Amino acid sequence: MRIANRRRPLSILVALCIVLTGVRCGTAPTDQDGKDGNKIVVNFWNGFTGPDGKTMAAIVKQFQTENPDVEVKMQIIPWGTYYDKLTLSLAYGGAPDVFIMQAARFTEYASFNTLKPMAPLIASAKPALTEKDFAAVPWKATMYHGTQYALPLDMHPIGLYYNTKLFKEAGIVDDKGQAKPPTTLTEFLDDAKKLTKDTDGDGRPDQWGFAYTFQHTNWLTFAHQFGGDIVTPDGKAGSMSSPACLQATHLMCDLIYKYKIAPKPEGVDSWLAFRQGKVAMAMEGIYMLSSLQQQPGLQFAGAPVPQFGPKQGIWGGSHLLCQPATISPERSQAAWRLMRYLSDHSLAWGGGGQVPARLDVQDSPKFQEMTVQAQFAREKGYVVYDPQIPKANALNQFVDPAIEAALTQFQTPEDAMHDADQRIDQLLKRP
Amino acid sequence: MSIAIEKTQAPARAVARKLLRRDDGWAGLLFALPHLILFIVFLLGPTLYGFFISLHQWHVLAKEHPFVGLSNYKAALGDDIFWLALRNTAYFVILVVPLGNLVSLLLALGVAGVKRFGTFYKVAFYVPVVISIAVVSVLWQWLYNTEIGLLNLYLKTAINGLRHMGMALPPFQPLPWLSDPHWAMPSIALMSIWWGAGGNMILYLAGINNIAPDYYEAATIDGANTWQRFWAITWPLLKPTTLFCLVFSVLGAFQIFGQSYVLYGGGSGPGRAGLTLVLYMYQQGFSQYEIGYGAAIAYLLFAIVLIFTGIQFKLMQGREEK
Repeated sequence: MRIANRRRPLSILVALCIVLTGVRCGTAPTDQDGKDGNKIVVNFWNGFTGPDGKTMAAIVKQFQTENPDVEVKMQIIPWGTYYDKLTLSLAYGGAPDVFIMQAARFTEYASFNTLKPMAPLIASAKPALTEKDFAAVPWKATMYHGTQYALPLDMHPIGLYYNTKLFKEAGIVDDKGQAKPPTTLTEFLDDAKKLTKDTDGDGRPDQWGFAYTFQHTNWLTFAHQFGGDIVTPDGKAGSMSSPACLQATHLMCDLIYKYKIAPKPEGVDSWLAFRQGKVAMAMEGIYMLSSLQQQPGLQFAGAPVPQFGPKQGIWGGSHLLCQPATISPERSQAAWRLMRYLSDHSLAWGGGGQVPARLDVQDSPKFQEMTVQAQFAREKGYVVYDPQIPKANALNQFVDPAIEAALTQFQTPEDAMHDADQRIDQLLKRP
Repeated sequence: MSIAIEKTQAPARAVARKLLRRDDGWAGLLFALPHLILFIVFLLGPTLYGFFISLHQWHVLAKEHPFVGLSNYKAALGDDIFWLALRNTAYFVILVVPLGNLVSLLLALGVAGVKRFGTFYKVAFYVPVVISIAVVSVLWQWLYNTEIGLLNLYLKTAINGLRHMGMALPPFQPLPWLSDPHWAMPSIALMSIWWGAGGNMILYLAGINNIAPDYYEAATIDGANTWQRFWAITWPLLKPTTLFCLVFSVLGAFQIFGQSYVLYGGGSGPGRAGLTLVLYMYQQGFSQYEIGYGAAIAYLLFAIVLIFTGIQFKLMQGREEK
């Protein structure tokens, strides 16, 4: 008895300590009204972990000096975990006031009513901002069921990067002696053959004409040029095994196994190989530009993607600026000022490797001086995004493995694409 | 007489005992509280809630989560990728459990036999267990690299050396450790064995050290050689340890996640060869945000592991009774 009695206060103490520590954690100071002193706090989330983050930070800093009543708290979260964090914050609270949404993910978030309609803010903008101020493709990507939920910041088309030094060495030059990028499939194959070399004579090429760096965007580029896509135009069924997509996939495989101008995409870091001058051509997004600019000794240029199929078409994406549906009117206004500012000042953003969505910026002489960006911007008329359906991202769990299986000959293109379509159909039918 | 006293005193004693017990109970409960709270909040609660979720169509962003009964389970059982993940997981278990335990046992026998630097070897073999699987995977990702990996470099040197000595070997082709569907799971298994062998080694070592030296002395006097001593003494007396290690290896192996997750960057590996059940659950729940479906996969895995555990504990009980 006695012993037990002595024990009791101690155990109560322990329990109390635990409860108290718990309580202390729960009452961390919050700024629910969004005010820090007299300033309105605007939380801004994005995934710009590369040099683009520095560009963005500089624009934001400039905004703050011009808008002393607003304090922007910018948080950069790696894309790999960005959407996990964003999703949880939108579902359970703590969402930022402005955030970047990639066009490929936009429809998913819009379909769950997590984004704030933007039309009233855009309509009230002074000076006025209308559809005519923006490139058509990114503008269209901000719509879901006729309602606008975002302001397009930029577009990032895929383009052809080529190593000018290797081109000149292989004698692929124009009249002025400058490296001449291919524009058609025949030119592309001819050039790539000249650029694929076995320099040490071990029977395996150690310089390649071309390489697949990001299979998803590369496949969509080929597919669009043959008139194919991941899903049917109504978005209700998979179409990866359509004749158009199969033609595109076969051509992609032929580049590796028939023409032997590209390495088998297996255990090779193709982008690194391009940066190191072991690959002469690669199709990558404009956002990869800064990674090339930082590569010492690399001589490269950008050009529109050659036309491989019967029509023009390339993969592209956009960064869209969004607000959460639950934002308060006061913060929404402050957040809108930041969004507008970013849009107005997107020339600097373009410098980091983007094509600004604003047409006035695209047409400005300063943007035209950015050679690679201006070259890639020539493709803006035929950029195609990932399917704009709510389950677009979910489909990628079938799309990307199928492309890989075909390119590595793990499956025939027919089997791989057929499997993907079956799974896509199954998923699209699920409620 | 004595019996009568017992009887009269008995009720009072019983009451006192009960009081004491009740008191102890409260104090005990309070002492257990720190663990209990954590257990309920972070384990029991989520486990039961997970089952509840698995009965609903539950997208993280959706405002409503309609009850769908068992259709998530039905969907999973009709999902060929679920079965592929199960097959991969089973393949991993089959590779890792017997081989891993064999390696652990051999290491333990070796370490038990060394006269000098015993502690050094013990620590050396145990160190990988202490490293986080994420670190191990990043490390092995480089070792396994097809073009510049250390493993292929050593193999190349070895094969070229043998060819030089006149052996009729084909020229060296770099092994696609992680990028070939057929190699993926064996590679993951090899890495996992390296990572985990030290843990079971310690258990086997304890088992070996528990065997009285008299047996060996007697056997040596009878003229038994090393193999006979192992086969007639060490192996049978180690059986409880072996069984224990096997049971826990199986449980651990079924839950393999970190290896594939890190090696394949959240993907599923070539031809989905690295996709395991827990990884698939994670992908569905936390990449696709379909946590209802993910929870159903988790419960299916739970059922499989439960059955295995049941069988193995039956086996273990049977041994102990003997």
